[in-house]
Amino acid sequence: MDGVPTKVCPSDAVKIPERVLRRDQERLEELERRKNAKESQTVSEEKIGYFRAAFSAEKANIEDLLSSCTQTDHQKAIKVLEEATNKIQHLQKFLNDSTVFLTQYELRQAQESLQKLQGSIAEKRAEVMPKKKFAFRSRTAGTSLQPAVTPSSTEGQLQTDPGNSVVDSVVEQCGFSNVQNEILIKHSEEIQQRDVLLSHLTNCKVRLYGSPSTLHIKNVRGCQILCGPVSSSVFVDECKDSTLVLACQQLRTHNTTSTQIYLHVTSRAIIEDCHGVSFAPFNWTYHKLDDDFRVSGLDPKRNNWSQVDDFNWLAAGTPSPNWAVIPESERTSSWDTAEPKA
Amino acid sequence: MGLLTILKKLKHKEREMRLLMLGLDNAGKTTILKKFNGEDVSTISPTLGFNIKTLEHRGFKLNIWDVGGQKSLRSYWRNYFESTDGLVWVVDSADRLRLEDCRKELSALLLEERLAGATLLVFANKQDLPGALSKDAIREVLALDEIKTHHWCIVGCSAMTGENLLTGVDWLLDDIAARIYTAD
Repeated sequence: MDGVPTKVCPSDAVKIPERVLRRDQERLEELERRKNAKESQTVSEEKIGYFRAAFSAEKANIEDLLSSCTQTDHQKAIKVLEEATNKIQHLQKFLNDSTVFLTQYELRQAQESLQKLQGSIAEKRAEVMPKKKFAFRSRTAGTSLQPAVTPSSTEGQLQTDPGNSVVDSVVEQCGFSNVQNEILIKHSEEIQQRDVLLSHLTNCKVRLYGSPSTLHIKNVRGCQILCGPVSSSVFVDECKDSTLVLACQQLRTHNTTSTQIYLHVTSRAIIEDCHGVSFAPFNWTYHKLDDDFRVSGLDPKRNNWSQVDDFNWLAAGTPSPNWAVIPESERTSSWDTAEPKA
Repeated sequence: MGLLTILKKLKHKEREMRLLMLGLDNAGKTTILKKFNGEDVSTISPTLGFNIKTLEHRGFKLNIWDVGGQKSLRSYWRNYFESTDGLVWVVDSADRLRLEDCRKELSALLLEERLAGATLLVFANKQDLPGALSKDAIREVLALDEIKTHHWCIVGCSAMTGENLLTGVDWLLDDIAARIYTAD
């Protein structure tokens, strides 16, 4: 029996350490693997220290760039500004990417320095190349589809107030402007599927036979305006003591007081900053009205004239005090049609 | 830090984007949204409040917020700024009278800190109307070339015909994707 244990023992002695060794090896490998995985998640770049150093270096870089930029060489200045802008954008991106591990304080500090940089670059830009103001050019007002072709002609108008020149550009638009005490008529061949503007009218009677694509009514007083079916929206602004008879897809009414609206609207009418506006259904008829309805694409059977949304009255349940329905007995039923014989 | 990194990576995998659509009233924001989503555009009412649409496009999940543009609603726009990836500014190219208003509102938006990282897409809408200004004219009126703080692009489009809507949105997605998803 002597030989048996001696035979077994050595083989066991070899086997056991082998298994242990293998397990130890596996354990070490697992440990190494976990360590690697952990390291890969905390990339060295995601360290506040690294961020701080990189950020301030880049910031100093941009500041140097900006201070080197002078007015003497225009071309070079533009290039430098462009480069600085790009650098700031990169820096912003760097900051955005780093938000995950930055503290609130760190983030705010960085955001502030970025804003400072933005400010100084804007200052520099204003200094090196004075900002061009936009102005409509009277020359290109009619053919405004390519207004960029005559840049030289802007120089003379740079001093004018841009607000006014925008309004000036509508001179060529289809419609009536700055008229008092007159009867104004337009027929379908002039307004069919066009944008029509009625502005600054006082005590006028306006008749638009046809189907415009949009209708703008602005600064109107004491007028009676009748218009055929409008394909899209009617836009009313600053209208007072007037009567409007309209058919459209949407009606948007602003800053309007004491005005009656006889309306056909296929979606909704809205009012904003209005008082004393009253509504009744559209009841104007003229020769070819049906044809114009067809051209406009409006559904003659669908009229939501009494569903008015008031943007200044968001309380549900209680009706808005800013608009009302005209009682049937007080509605005008016939409009003295100035329609010529067709 | 490890957990945050994982969360960030998860968010990236979702490929989700938040787009905010703003502009003056009657610019056509809701019409663009509905047309893009393939819905009927003939019955749209002026937006009293806002619309949200979530749709899939090119493997991205787009959350599009369309907020009403009436003057009384503009003060609420700021409630929607948070975590916006892309800003879509819609312009009625035929509404010359209010282009100056339009420029002012846009430039005020671009100063917003919470929109600082957002890409700007300008839709020069209503190009199908005969009185519409071209996208180059709009670009000039809105002084877009002076914008240095945001990536921007202007696209002439028509919400009624659907023309160029895809072009614009694709550009926006590409720009945002380049910014967010290649970061790691």
